[in-house]
Amino acid sequence: MADLALLTWTFLWLSLLCVGGGLGVIPEMERQSVTIHGWLTAREFVDGYTLTQLTPGPNMLIAVFVGYRAHGALGALLAGLAMFLPTSVLAMVISHHWQQWRTRRWAAIAERALIPVGIGLMAGGVYTLARIAIHDALTLALAVLTALAVATDRVPPVLAVLAAGTLGWLLTR
Amino acid sequence: MRRVSLLRLIAVFTWTGFSSIGGGRSAYFHEALVRRRGWIRNDEFVQDFTLSQVLPGPNFSNLAVALGYRLAGLAGGVWGLLAIVLPGAVILVGATTLYLHGAFGGSATLLIRGLSAAVVGLVCMTTLRIVRGSLRGGRGILVAVVTFLAVGPLRLSTVGVVLVMAAVSLALHWAAPPPSASPAGSPSPEEIC
Repeated sequence: MADLALLTWTFLWLSLLCVGGGLGVIPEMERQSVTIHGWLTAREFVDGYTLTQLTPGPNMLIAVFVGYRAHGALGALLAGLAMFLPTSVLAMVISHHWQQWRTRRWAAIAERALIPVGIGLMAGGVYTLARIAIHDALTLALAVLTALAVATDRVPPVLAVLAAGTLGWLLTR
Repeated sequence: MRRVSLLRLIAVFTWTGFSSIGGGRSAYFHEALVRRRGWIRNDEFVQDFTLSQVLPGPNFSNLAVALGYRLAGLAGGVWGLLAIVLPGAVILVGATTLYLHGAFGGSATLLIRGLSAAVVGLVCMTTLRIVRGSLRGGRGILVAVVTFLAVGPLRLSTVGVVLVMAAVSLALHWAAPPPSASPAGSPSPEEIC
């Protein structure tokens, strides 16, 4: 019971550390779940992250994986709620007020000022993803092929990604 | 207030959640809501994307809340969130059960390597499209490039970079706001594509 509360609390504060994409919080989450609380092994944590990449939805569903491994269905539910509920309420409140504030001068300036920061973060995310995923000629070729396919506007992105992924798997196994 | 019915919103968000595998999830939302259906303008998308990045929390769920709220108010935000989180959570619990019984071997790892590489191509293209539609002016480009270098190649802490660059950008934009600083001054569809 105490450990369930600890699990919920840990994922609650970890959720607040997710700024500008989930990848940044992974090292701290691994340290908390594996080293400090022993909810799962390091190998299981890495495999869990891979699973969240292969299944649909946000990759921060890794909280559900850790919670399930530690305390079954109840652990999965609590860790998932802790990860998504409080920050979503915050996003809702800010979205709500932003629509009213943005007609004012300071809000219009703030919006203009924050957009380039968001774009820089987005590009930084592409870089981080590429650094992990592109490590040889084949993975580079898959990325370029997918980009070209998406650029034509004739292929749904999910199909382009699945086709390239399958191609890579066939060529490397 | 409502731009689309709740049912359509739930259907499209659920499908977007389902089709978004391999990372770079915001790209799928841009494709589904801006490019394909035109429910949301490019500059609105960038606002919501920025909000979802700057606020604490998983950015994909933050983005779903912000976009859902924009499309259909409070109910849109709540249902948008549920539509992208719940199906994935149920599937993940199933996959975890299989995993804990040792059902996955090395082939899943090989598949994800190919998928991750392909996703880089997708997010690259999406980012280029968003940049072309919403980044203008020397100050904006400067802030975007420095932010990119700091969180990308330099690998500085995202929290620190956001705090510093937001302050710098605010100072730059506050000193000399553009003459037509109307919040409705958004690019037309022709400019976006």
